[in-house]
Amino acid sequence: MILHLNHTRRDSAAASASEVVATFLTLLEERHLTAEQFARLEIYLDWLQYKQNFREPITVMQRAESGAGPRSSMEVRIDSRQISPGSLRELVQKAIGPPPFDGGRGSRIYLEDFRSLRSSIVWDFNHLYWQRLKDWEQATGKSYEKSLPGGVSDGHHPQAIADSAQEFWNLLKQLESRNQLPAEIFLLEIGVGLATRAGMWLDCFGALDQKNGTQYYPRLRFLLGDYSLSTLDRSRPAVKKHIDLCSFIGLDALDPTKALSFLRHKVLHVHSSNMYDNLPDEEVVWRDNRLYWVQVRAYLRPEDAARIGKDCGVAFTDVVRTIKRLLEVGADSLPEHDKGMTFWREIWNAIRFEERLVDALDLPDAELPAGLSYTQMEDFLRDAPGELRFHLSSGALESFRNTLPLLHPRGYLQVQDIFVTDLSDYCMGFYGPGKLDGSIVNWVNGALLREVAHRAGYDLHFAPFQYRAGSKTSILYTTQRE
Amino acid sequence: MTLPILPTTMVGSYSMPSWLERLKTDYFARRISRHDLDEIHDCAVRSAIKDQEIAGLDIVTDGELRRDNMIDYFVERLPGIHIDRSSKKFYYDFYDSEVLGKIPMAALGLVEDFKFLLANTERETKFCITGPHSLCKRVRNKYYASDEELATDIARVMNMELKELVKAGAKLIQIDEPYYSGFPEDLSWGVKVLNRLIEGVNAKIAVHICYGNRYGKPSWEGSYRYLFPRILEAKIQQLSLEFARRGGEDLDLFREFSPPFELGAGVIDVKDQAVESPDIVAERIRKVAKFVPVEKISVLPDCGLFHLPRDIAFAKLRAMVDGTKMVRKELGR
Repeated sequence: MILHLNHTRRDSAAASASEVVATFLTLLEERHLTAEQFARLEIYLDWLQYKQNFREPITVMQRAESGAGPRSSMEVRIDSRQISPGSLRELVQKAIGPPPFDGGRGSRIYLEDFRSLRSSIVWDFNHLYWQRLKDWEQATGKSYEKSLPGGVSDGHHPQAIADSAQEFWNLLKQLESRNQLPAEIFLLEIGVGLATRAGMWLDCFGALDQKNGTQYYPRLRFLLGDYSLSTLDRSRPAVKKHIDLCSFIGLDALDPTKALSFLRHKVLHVHSSNMYDNLPDEEVVWRDNRLYWVQVRAYLRPEDAARIGKDCGVAFTDVVRTIKRLLEVGADSLPEHDKGMTFWREIWNAIRFEERLVDALDLPDAELPAGLSYTQMEDFLRDAPGELRFHLSSGALESFRNTLPLLHPRGYLQVQDIFVTDLSDYCMGFYGPGKLDGSIVNWVNGALLREVAHRAGYDLHFAPFQYRAGSKTSILYTTQRE
Repeated sequence: MTLPILPTTMVGSYSMPSWLERLKTDYFARRISRHDLDEIHDCAVRSAIKDQEIAGLDIVTDGELRRDNMIDYFVERLPGIHIDRSSKKFYYDFYDSEVLGKIPMAALGLVEDFKFLLANTERETKFCITGPHSLCKRVRNKYYASDEELATDIARVMNMELKELVKAGAKLIQIDEPYYSGFPEDLSWGVKVLNRLIEGVNAKIAVHICYGNRYGKPSWEGSYRYLFPRILEAKIQQLSLEFARRGGEDLDLFREFSPPFELGAGVIDVKDQAVESPDIVAERIRKVAKFVPVEKISVLPDCGLFHLPRDIAFAKLRAMVDGTKMVRKELGR
């Protein structure tokens, strides 16, 4: 048996390593496990940062149907945070034993077949959340921002914004001194939200420009980009004072260049806050010098489905159909809007994943994000820990790659988000997927972003967000490499 | 061989296949031998030449596929320049290099590359080198009093190599000086250095000046106005500039200053993977022809095709040739 300790927290250990070892030894002695099973056991002891997530307290990794999983191990993942004292043995015994029911009301209710996380139904819930954020906020009685850790977005920190404006002004001054300042100065904010940051930034920059008498402000062309037109509409009041400089552009965060191809190599500053962590993602495992895809299958526990159905007036057999309708029309999928909201929130809370590993070679259609080939990935992982489960951050990488062509040769991309900046960190923590309110959150694989940036001819580095103590945010800077 | 009107050629580099990049990395990791790498280079260069011929170019180059990038291939050959070989992670990156003493005269070994090109085509050829100004901007100068002095000494050494190239049969030599665009303030001495480089070199000399093409993206932005009138002092026969990506706004400089040299007009955007249609190419040539007599125009991509996938690079060359043929037909020539 191999025990992997994937966290270093000392305050978490409802299920401690010694308790886990003792529990499995007891199960072996009592013949709930055979010696052969015991020898093949690989146990991962995790501590999940997000209280709301997709994991059971104990998860046994499923075998791929082709049998083409990694070496013949029995992989058990334990979320020590969810284990109440004294319950470990019972939970393990239940998880490793045969399913209690086969079919019927006692079985798990699957919402999809096994697939990459990126294609899972949970992203439809994520989409629904952003499309109908108002409904969710009304139902919960709190704004999205209040759900963030600390109840405030680091993206709106006044000093961070003032520093950003100053930094940009310095760049313009430098360009001007070399006679290279363009007549029109393009800036792009991707994922504007309510444009609070954009408004504050323009206030700061305008004041700075006036104080120095530099006349850069009237030359600004501030582009506010978001995929949701209604969000763009809602953002207008925040930049009212600067409206003549602003353009509101519907764009796909995964490919901003598509809408803005006329600005290739012209944008001097691109910024986004808390966007990458909410873009489609998938996980892979690097083991025995091979790459495995983590496939997921979303399900509901039958008892959860029955409870939610009863509370919301939906027959048990109609739960899956109602979920599909919910994803199409929102809370009005039920005759009463309030019931519809309850149904949405409760189903979201109840969704769990089964997982299985599939050899990348058996998935010819599973592509790495643009900018990375399998051979490059192998090079990248050459010095990585031998056993590593990590995020591909495919949505973030796609967005990043497709934003770079917009950058002016002296321009820079600045992203405020939560990043894993060193691959080995994946051995010591859990970085998603978690549920943040009605949305999904995944930390972004900064190490992989750095690799892709480097190959595309850019330097990328991370600076800690110094403006709020305890903040987990980092600021990514990307500039062109000489 | 007589060239047609509006002769077509590449700026220099052809698409660098990813497999070649990987094999070169294998060489640096001692997984393949120098001998094997040389053979691989020979095959890749022959293939690049063949592609240009099939695409229909009038003048071909060796595709520069032996070169890591436009700087290191030359810096490595210049004696007296110290290179930190641990300083680059990827094959395309630049080495960190510094000059610690006077650069002595030495053969740079470029003639062999040219002879290989000559032996593998019956078309007209062009041989391209990076100019002293661009080289000096990538080398940390710890010896010479100024960049100008360093560049002048590089020019002195390279001048000998250019004369050797002419002896070997080179009739058209292109000097690449993209760093002029990044350091326009250097142009006054840059042109003097350029003239030193080509002094007594009995070949047609073209100078290529773009806004950079590192990793398929520009390094600078601006206007070619900075070149004028200083560039008129350069004793060259052709100036090659990029117009496809940047548009033709700077073309009026050719009307304003009536330079004595020809124009190598960039009509293919090498920083965009979308392949131009022959119609677009023809339109771009027609636009250039409003400012420069057609007899003085050569047709080229904006810069090297190094960072484009091979199929796209080839399709772009073909579109360039087809677009040029359309204009020739209109001219009845």
